[in-house]
Amino acid sequence: MHQMGDFEEMAMLDLPSDERAWVSEQAERLLAGFDALEGADTSEIQPLVTVLDVRNVLREDISAQLIPREELLSNAPEQYDGYFQVPKTLV
Amino acid sequence: MNYEVVMGLEVHVELATQSKLFCACSAKYGADANESVCPACAGMPGMPAVTNKRAVALGIAAGIVTNSQIARVMTFDKKSYFYPDLPAGYQITQYAAPVCTNGWVEIETEAGTKRITLKQIHIEEDAGKLVHDNRTGTTLVDFNRTSVPLVEIVSNPDFRSAEEVVAYLEKLRALLRAAGVSDCKMEEGSLRCDVNISVRPAGQQSFGVRTEMKNMSSLKAIVAAIAFESERHIDALETGSEVLIQETRRWDDNKGETFSMREKENATDYRYFPNPELMPIVISDEWIEEVRAALPELPHEKYERMTAELGLPDRDSRIVTGSKNLSDIFDGTLAHYDKPREVVNWILGDMLSAAKGINMGEGDIVLDCQKFARVIELADSQAINRNVAKKLLGLVLADGIDPDAYVKEHGLGMVGDTGAIEAAVKEAVAENPKSAGEYKGGNQKVLGFFVGKVMRKLGGKADPKLVGRLLRDHLDKQ
Amino acid sequence: MDSYLRPGGDAVALEDSIMQKGQPVTAGSKMLENFISPLDATVVERLRGQGVAIVGRARMTEFGVARISGDRPEGISGAVDAVADGSARWALCNDVFGINRRLAAQNGVCYIHPTYGTVSRYGLVHLASSMDQIGVVCRNAEDGFALLGRIAGKDANDGAMFPEARYDYASTGKDITVGLPEAVIGRAGTAQKAALREFAGRFRGAAVQIPLFPLVKQVMYILASAEISSNLTRYDGIKFGYQAPRYRSLKELYTNTRTEAFGLDAKLAAIMGTMFLSQGYYTRYYDKAMRLRRLVKESLTFAGYDVLALPCAIGDDPYENLSLYALAPLAGLPSLVFPQQRQGIQLIAAARNENALLTAWKSATKSATKG
Repeated sequence: MHQMGDFEEMAMLDLPSDERAWVSEQAERLLAGFDALEGADTSEIQPLVTVLDVRNVLREDISAQLIPREELLSNAPEQYDGYFQVPKTLV
Repeated sequence: MNYEVVMGLEVHVELATQSKLFCACSAKYGADANESVCPACAGMPGMPAVTNKRAVALGIAAGIVTNSQIARVMTFDKKSYFYPDLPAGYQITQYAAPVCTNGWVEIETEAGTKRITLKQIHIEEDAGKLVHDNRTGTTLVDFNRTSVPLVEIVSNPDFRSAEEVVAYLEKLRALLRAAGVSDCKMEEGSLRCDVNISVRPAGQQSFGVRTEMKNMSSLKAIVAAIAFESERHIDALETGSEVLIQETRRWDDNKGETFSMREKENATDYRYFPNPELMPIVISDEWIEEVRAALPELPHEKYERMTAELGLPDRDSRIVTGSKNLSDIFDGTLAHYDKPREVVNWILGDMLSAAKGINMGEGDIVLDCQKFARVIELADSQAINRNVAKKLLGLVLADGIDPDAYVKEHGLGMVGDTGAIEAAVKEAVAENPKSAGEYKGGNQKVLGFFVGKVMRKLGGKADPKLVGRLLRDHLDKQ
Repeated sequence: MDSYLRPGGDAVALEDSIMQKGQPVTAGSKMLENFISPLDATVVERLRGQGVAIVGRARMTEFGVARISGDRPEGISGAVDAVADGSARWALCNDVFGINRRLAAQNGVCYIHPTYGTVSRYGLVHLASSMDQIGVVCRNAEDGFALLGRIAGKDANDGAMFPEARYDYASTGKDITVGLPEAVIGRAGTAQKAALREFAGRFRGAAVQIPLFPLVKQVMYILASAEISSNLTRYDGIKFGYQAPRYRSLKELYTNTRTEAFGLDAKLAAIMGTMFLSQGYYTRYYDKAMRLRRLVKESLTFAGYDVLALPCAIGDDPYENLSLYALAPLAGLPSLVFPQQRQGIQLIAAARNENALLTAWKSATKSATKG
């Protein structure tokens, strides 16, 4: 069985203790409320992914450059020589 | 004890589209870092995805050439994990309703033919490229390949040897190239392969512990990795030297061994869920037929035509149809010179060796088929001799020269005038009385020596057979 | 006479989740505090193309994620403020949780939430993709629909839209039947109830059941937070936006950046959404909620009634009130919130039947003026 901490870590978060306490409290309240869902029989119902009943929204295979690289990189906290830059991923 | 190696393959093939799967950025290989990237494929907020129609059509084509069942309705899902090569933190892929299921590919090995069955083919986005930079001690991220469309072709665990794996990859590559689905260049990463491997005692029904080797990108590496990994499994089973665990391993080409990824990758929960931004895609029979009709002749169809209709040898036909490029050169040349046997002989003989001579790989050969056809025709009609023809072919290949103009300009046309040849024959015999005597004495081999002499006098521009005949006539008369 | 046309104020304010090229777009989050929009949202292009001025950018609740615990107001809306105080004639925003609709009702302005898939979301910072929809804060519904007509219609850059190129919103003049879910209305306060009854009294009424209403907030929270958790994974401090000043590894870069820059409500949604999508809980929560969503959508039949009338609050608990505001986004339906006797009324119509909302509003306003 998972603990809330597992999902916190999966979501790439590491909360300070006061925040963690608040989140746990909310999670507890929410999850308790979900027990009500168990009563509803949905075995014959298909999941609804999107309310739109539109199909085959496709674009033609035409390429275009939307913005130059300088603009793309201009929002990056760290960049080097045309690349985004991160700490070493492999030791 | 005898062991059986059991393998399944996941082959990733980048689709031959102009643009990416969900945005209009160029999908072409080889741009400078981050030149083919827009806010959408860089994972910026506010950019809805819209599916590339051609990518779906190529997914359907991949299904057709692998005898797969094409989905009536296909959908996209999100697969989530944090890694710098995945800018949105999720990859859009197909989990619940992939474009194809239940296909098969027939392979041939020494042991005969065998059907490799396919579980499914799904369409998904490629990830970006990470470059480990020693100068800065950091990792640099290039999103050019991010969101380039690819299909992942997932086989069942049907392989029992590296030979079968290689035969399958070669067959798959030929099929996908011929259908225009992908250029399948392993060296550019447009065909990559994950190998799942397990070993069990011969006769045992259940599978052994399975390990996965990811992102193999050359046939040589795949063969070596399979050899290493199956040995490691057998050792573990026989000696108990280590306990096998289900894990992902990476092949180190320099050390010639696999190593465990050690990262948490093996335990990742990808949190697949249907992508609500992308509407389901209905694949009608009409669409499938449209894709089928637009497919070029497939390798096995061409093989049939070459052997049955054109009466070409089995082996030659197999080699030509095994390569998209040779196959195209064959058709292109045949269109200008309708002698299949000559064309095939030239392609597999002098053309390939000329290409090798200038370090052109078989897939890289770029040849003007009309000029190539003309060279063959000139040689066949004896307007030039074979050595000149070979030289011309080399020049057509390297510099694209015009054969007729070159022959004229350099006076390489054959000396067809028997009188001129006879004069040269007389001269050569007169200059070498000793050799003429040996011929008279019954040494037929000397004839070759005389042919060489005469050819040299004629600047190589005579038909050696004709020279031989005239020499024999002259010597016999003496 | 157009009483709502005020000189000097004929401009649109944009919620800070809608991109204008070269301008900061924060979506109310520290995560995007230094992010400059690389391009214009489609709605911005359409406004410009029709000569509609953009007056400025409006503050918002972080990403639009409501505080549902009740220990603080559920959110803020600069978009509602701008129209309420007269600094803009209209404001555009995305309202999944109902923050803007609730505040519009409290501040005496209208809110039009259009049918899902009729206004392009190209250039709108994602919140919950299956429910995101740009809506219009306006002084009155007629004026709001006039603006909506200028921005609605298919955009090739948004893959989840109806194919219609444009929409002309107009009152049909026909008689409207109002659906009244008594079980829901009964939970509203006295003033709310009175306002609703006063409104409904001008129309033919029909009793309506929403059998799954008690489960709507749960279904909404599960689906919205799952989608939010996925749409928030792009924020990692690498490509744009906030980056933690200190980190020793890739994992710390991710974790510190996200922990420092996301607010509490975004964090809760990210953690809960991650849980709902994870292997052990997917079937129990996410899959179940998707099935219930279908039942909710199918229960809103509009058979025998044209618009559904709902109160704007059923008590003080924001989580309870979420049920009221979740119906339209869960079912992809258009909705109109407007002030009535200093209370708010929410109308919901069938998909792409915005005209029923406008007709009902006009008819109610006319008879109110007469009376």
